[in-house]
Amino acid sequence: MKKGTLFQLVDDVTPANLKQAMQQAIEIEIATIPVYLYTYYSITRVPDQGAITKQILADFKAQNKCEKTDAELEEAAEKLGLDIMVFANKAGSLIMSVAVEEMLHMSLSSNIKNALKKYGGLPELVGKTPKHWPAFLPGHEPPFPINRAKLTLDQLYTFLLIESPLPVVPDPKSKAKAIPYDTIGDYYQKIIDCMNKYLTDDDFDADAPQLINSKFYSQNNVDTVYYDADHKPQFSNEEDSGGLVHVTSVATAVHAMDEIVEQGEGATSKTGKKGDHLTHDGKVVCATKINPLSYDDPSKGELSHFDKFLEIYCTIQRTNHDLNMFLGTEDFDYTKYFIKDLPTNPATTDYPEDIQKVCTLNNAIYTYLFVMAEGCYKKKGHTQFEIFMFGIHKTMIWLLNTISDSMAGLTYTDPKDKTTKCVSATFEDYDFSKSTASPKEQVIALGEIAMKVKNSIINQGVLDIIHDLPDVEL
Amino acid sequence: MENFKYSQKANGCGSGGGSSNKTDIQVPIELHACMGLNACKGHDRYGDNDCAGAGYCATQVHYCHTMNNCRGQGGCGLYGDTEEQCTPGANDCAWQGSCGTPIPAERFITQGKSKGRSVWQLARKLFEDRMDNANRNVQEAPFRYGPPIKWLQDNGRGESCGYSGHKNCAFIINAEDRLKAQEKSSRQFSQESARLLDNTVENCNNCDEVENASLKKK
Repeated sequence: MKKGTLFQLVDDVTPANLKQAMQQAIEIEIATIPVYLYTYYSITRVPDQGAITKQILADFKAQNKCEKTDAELEEAAEKLGLDIMVFANKAGSLIMSVAVEEMLHMSLSSNIKNALKKYGGLPELVGKTPKHWPAFLPGHEPPFPINRAKLTLDQLYTFLLIESPLPVVPDPKSKAKAIPYDTIGDYYQKIIDCMNKYLTDDDFDADAPQLINSKFYSQNNVDTVYYDADHKPQFSNEEDSGGLVHVTSVATAVHAMDEIVEQGEGATSKTGKKGDHLTHDGKVVCATKINPLSYDDPSKGELSHFDKFLEIYCTIQRTNHDLNMFLGTEDFDYTKYFIKDLPTNPATTDYPEDIQKVCTLNNAIYTYLFVMAEGCYKKKGHTQFEIFMFGIHKTMIWLLNTISDSMAGLTYTDPKDKTTKCVSATFEDYDFSKSTASPKEQVIALGEIAMKVKNSIINQGVLDIIHDLPDVEL
Repeated sequence: MENFKYSQKANGCGSGGGSSNKTDIQVPIELHACMGLNACKGHDRYGDNDCAGAGYCATQVHYCHTMNNCRGQGGCGLYGDTEEQCTPGANDCAWQGSCGTPIPAERFITQGKSKGRSVWQLARKLFEDRMDNANRNVQEAPFRYGPPIKWLQDNGRGESCGYSGHKNCAFIINAEDRLKAQEKSSRQFSQESARLLDNTVENCNNCDEVENASLKKK
């Protein structure tokens, strides 16, 4: 396997390589999860409105090249402060809503693979997070680097390339080798074509363990909510955008893959060039007002992943453009008021020893999520229900989310240059196979170590939750 | 009884404060999820309420989704699927309660057709129906629309989970103006949820249709 790539290339999907193709589909979905989560945690979703407005006004006064009056600056600062209060939370909500659906997509692809009799098998979920960063999605033309990075226009551009419904035509000079697919939608279409051509419903085992219980997935939760300028709650996902699918046949497998593609790229995405859009040669065009290309649900209440990212991208670009026009500046960037300066592609070993202990625990928790998810494809009934509801839900909400959010607020002094640096969760796979203890026992041990760190963000409450988790073997 | 009739002590987001100046009973007689959901006299947090439904605050406290220890203790709202969010204070089993307790007046449903409406009011409706089936009279709750977050905080209980910010606030820097706007918003939220409560119950009775919507759309 090429260093830094996510999986080996599949030129054409046939019954002979269908098992590998489904595993690759799963790994595409897994690869997006740490990337989107990392960027999500760089956002301060609920800034202090008074404090940022005061800072904005001070910055406006310092950079006022257009001789605006104090009253004009104060009015503009207050408006920008309000805009940030809505937009920062909305950007967080949109990215979280995509991350939630990427976890759904991993489950849908895993359902298909586990349902396929001789053409599939147990989905491999543990240890599939990219080990080398930047990572690359082979199959895209041209290949593009994917970083774990804070929210910037560059990072959003990467997101757009991941979710793009339209093939981006490469610069011929950079074309290094044959490319098996242009978009993720194109990749899934190859699998669909293979199934339609070669498979029958007898090739699916409806009784194989799958994630199908409706309690396992909800489109929205409090973290996909944001508040408009009147502080009315808004919901980034819609119920009719799709959920878990019980794969029992060719038709249901195709349905599951259609859902993945529609949520990612949009169901009507091939049509629009009137509003914000990505051109074939890779340029983002932000129209004068938001005009989404595509929704992914029949009621047109939920944007596709691509258009959620496009909305964030173009809102930032438009706002910065307007601010620079107002101030007479060239590089005023308002994202500094709500984006944490997280490092790009950090490794646990980059951090001081104490932070490493917390980071290692978080990585073990992150990996244990995949251990439990894999366990759900080995067990059915009440055992599966308990693993998911009391293991995966609890781990996502109360362990990974809480610790990752807390870590993104930490800083340390780099001994090399004495500068202050920000910390972030790294979302690296933890290798449970190094010990004979069970994964849960290892997470408990790491939790006890992390709790002993001076001023640790890990407390007894965290350890109690870890103790409550189901014990799932590798 | 109106929701926000008492004195305001709040600063910033969250109105409706004020301590009850009461002491928790040592051993609760009944474990229930929130204010106004107690089944009998003396069953509330302080052990001195007069009647069913009139109790102050929950006797069972947990923070969030999957953290409840027993049947009927789930707060609902914020996390969980449509069906789970239809059973505040009425879940079947340990760890199956969607979200934490107590249930603040400002907490809203986040999934299904009733998104954005009051969780506490649905919990109270389910409680009243349960009492009605048992031929029991129920008094008004201390706060008509449930305990405000600020009141809970002033009485030693926190808000529940999530990272999207205060459930009911206003984006106004001036504290006095913000408080007024927040009160107005809270009142509108509670009154609108009350107006739509029958529809909320109806939506919950049709939960299966909602859960299967994604499969049926094809």
